[in-house]
Amino acid sequence: MFWQILKGSLVRQRQKMFMVAITIALGVSLTTAMLNVMLDVGDKVNRELKAYGANITVTPRSASILHDFYGVEAGGAGQYLQESELGKLKTIFWANNIVDFSPILETRAIIGQTASEITLVGTWFNHRLDLPTGETVETGIKQLKSWWSVEGNWVQESSQGAMLGSMAASRLGLQIGDEIDLVIPGSDRTAKVKIEGVFNSGGPEDEEIFVPLGLAQKLTNLPGKVGKIEVSAITTPENELARKAAHDPKSLSLKEWETWYCTAYVGAIAYQIEEAITGAHAKPVRQVAESEGAILQKTQLLMLLITVLSLIGSTLGISNLLTASVMERNREVGLLKALGADDTEVLVLTLSQILFTGIAGGFAGYFLGLGFAQIIGQTVFSAAVAAKPMVIPIVMVLVVLVTLTGSLPAIRMLVSLRPAEVLHGR
Amino acid sequence: MNILELRDISMIYGTVKALQDINLTVQKGEWVALMGPSGSGKTTLMNIIGCMDKASRGSVVLDGVEFSQLNAKQLTAIRRDKIGLVFQQFHLVPYLTALENVMVAQYYHSMPDEQEAMAALERVGLAERARHLPSQLSGGEQQRVCIARALINYPMLILADEPTGNLDEANANIVLRLFQELHQEGHTIIMVTHDPDVGKLAERCIMLDHGKIVQHSNRYEGVAKACVNG
Repeated sequence: MFWQILKGSLVRQRQKMFMVAITIALGVSLTTAMLNVMLDVGDKVNRELKAYGANITVTPRSASILHDFYGVEAGGAGQYLQESELGKLKTIFWANNIVDFSPILETRAIIGQTASEITLVGTWFNHRLDLPTGETVETGIKQLKSWWSVEGNWVQESSQGAMLGSMAASRLGLQIGDEIDLVIPGSDRTAKVKIEGVFNSGGPEDEEIFVPLGLAQKLTNLPGKVGKIEVSAITTPENELARKAAHDPKSLSLKEWETWYCTAYVGAIAYQIEEAITGAHAKPVRQVAESEGAILQKTQLLMLLITVLSLIGSTLGISNLLTASVMERNREVGLLKALGADDTEVLVLTLSQILFTGIAGGFAGYFLGLGFAQIIGQTVFSAAVAAKPMVIPIVMVLVVLVTLTGSLPAIRMLVSLRPAEVLHGR
Repeated sequence: MNILELRDISMIYGTVKALQDINLTVQKGEWVALMGPSGSGKTTLMNIIGCMDKASRGSVVLDGVEFSQLNAKQLTAIRRDKIGLVFQQFHLVPYLTALENVMVAQYYHSMPDEQEAMAALERVGLAERARHLPSQLSGGEQQRVCIARALINYPMLILADEPTGNLDEANANIVLRLFQELHQEGHTIIMVTHDPDVGKLAERCIMLDHGKIVQHSNRYEGVAKACVNG
């Protein structure tokens, strides 16, 4: 009998219940989309924020001490890292979080044609690197410095090409296609390179010339050496534990240390890089790391607010619709009470009706939300958003909460409804 | 044997006295007609007897149970167990068949029993219409379903509020014949009516006006006169 009454009342009020289901579906869809994006957004936003460039700089340990105390640049103290060890960056615990990296070997050079001195930077532009794991990655400044505005072309690794900073190009009167002689002062090492591109970085690099690492090593007579490595890694926003570790790693308890080590804090990744590369000192570029963390947190907060607001909107919508529904059914409910149904029985019947509608709306809303998440993922991050299983129980709890909260005015009305009033108009 | 006793019942809505010091006893198997003009308090009195309203003052005793100290849940239980309600506007659940409408009363009382519900419909001559929805039944048929529903739990008291008020003469006669049969079988009936002809069928006629009993007569002492005056 219960089911007959339930089914009958659902069918009879199908239009109103359909509206309730749609309201719930809309709220749930937005919630599902936001929660899925929010849980997946860390990686997505971090990838977007990689446009900020490297957030870890790796230098030879002794050189870093000299730099910290006397301001001497990496390589300047005759200390170098081994190019052959760069692949180890992709073997650390957080290897997948290392998005790009690029070696740097700097020296001073004279441009033969203009007799002007310039900083020459040897680097990887778009280098294919075979890893110890057998995999191959493409990395270099083309990916690392994606914000550079380049006129002409990026240099091919195997070529004798160079990329000149825009300010240097303008100061020296050089342009794309010019061939120049690079001379290392105080030595007879020279090289002829062709300017393949002129870049504008908006930074001090605009006064420099970039050549393939191999050429720079030849000019400096430092085969297989690099002065520093710039690393771009996806990191977790810093929290109290990360700050404590940054201040003094030895102050961490064993459990804290394990948590810190197994979380992608910029400090933890830097620590693991030091473990992997001989004689390396990895230093987080905290401004970048913290900005990334702040942006991520604000993005997530924004999504959380949208979720909460959409749920409040749904609750209000449900509340209005259900109140109208109860008003429409007051004679029927009054009759059931007159026939002997007590408040609990009427509530169970009405809540079952509401929960059935809520479940239907929630189910539809969940799948709609997965679709919205994909649209958001593709539109904003140009990537798919993974459906997180943990969203399902959260959505279920929220459906029940929103539906019940939205039902409160209707429930109050039902409890206070007196059969004499609705059946006899008293 | 008295099954219903009203003592000094008053019902006050704000400044309006809907009922004033009503005293009434109804004996088992009796048919009492409550009559009076609109606003005289008939329905209010029915609601109080039917546990759908609580009197502002006075006491109601049904089958030895006094209502004034009972809470809403207990009043619901009394209504469910001891009272059968027949409404002027039938009040059937529109999406349930005639049979299911009868079974709803069983469901809230104890347990639905289709055979018993069907027997109740047979009793009111509607066995062949058992699977029809209220919208597929005439007014008279709907009222007979309502009577079958009122009878299904073997109530001690049948309260009928203008049961023929919405019916044409032919259907009203069918319904009244049913009430006569119920009365002959020993059911206790309290019926609100405007219709003097209906009132004449009752054993006693109580005239209400402005919330007071203005005339109290029985069939053998000029009930017809009292009812006609009403």
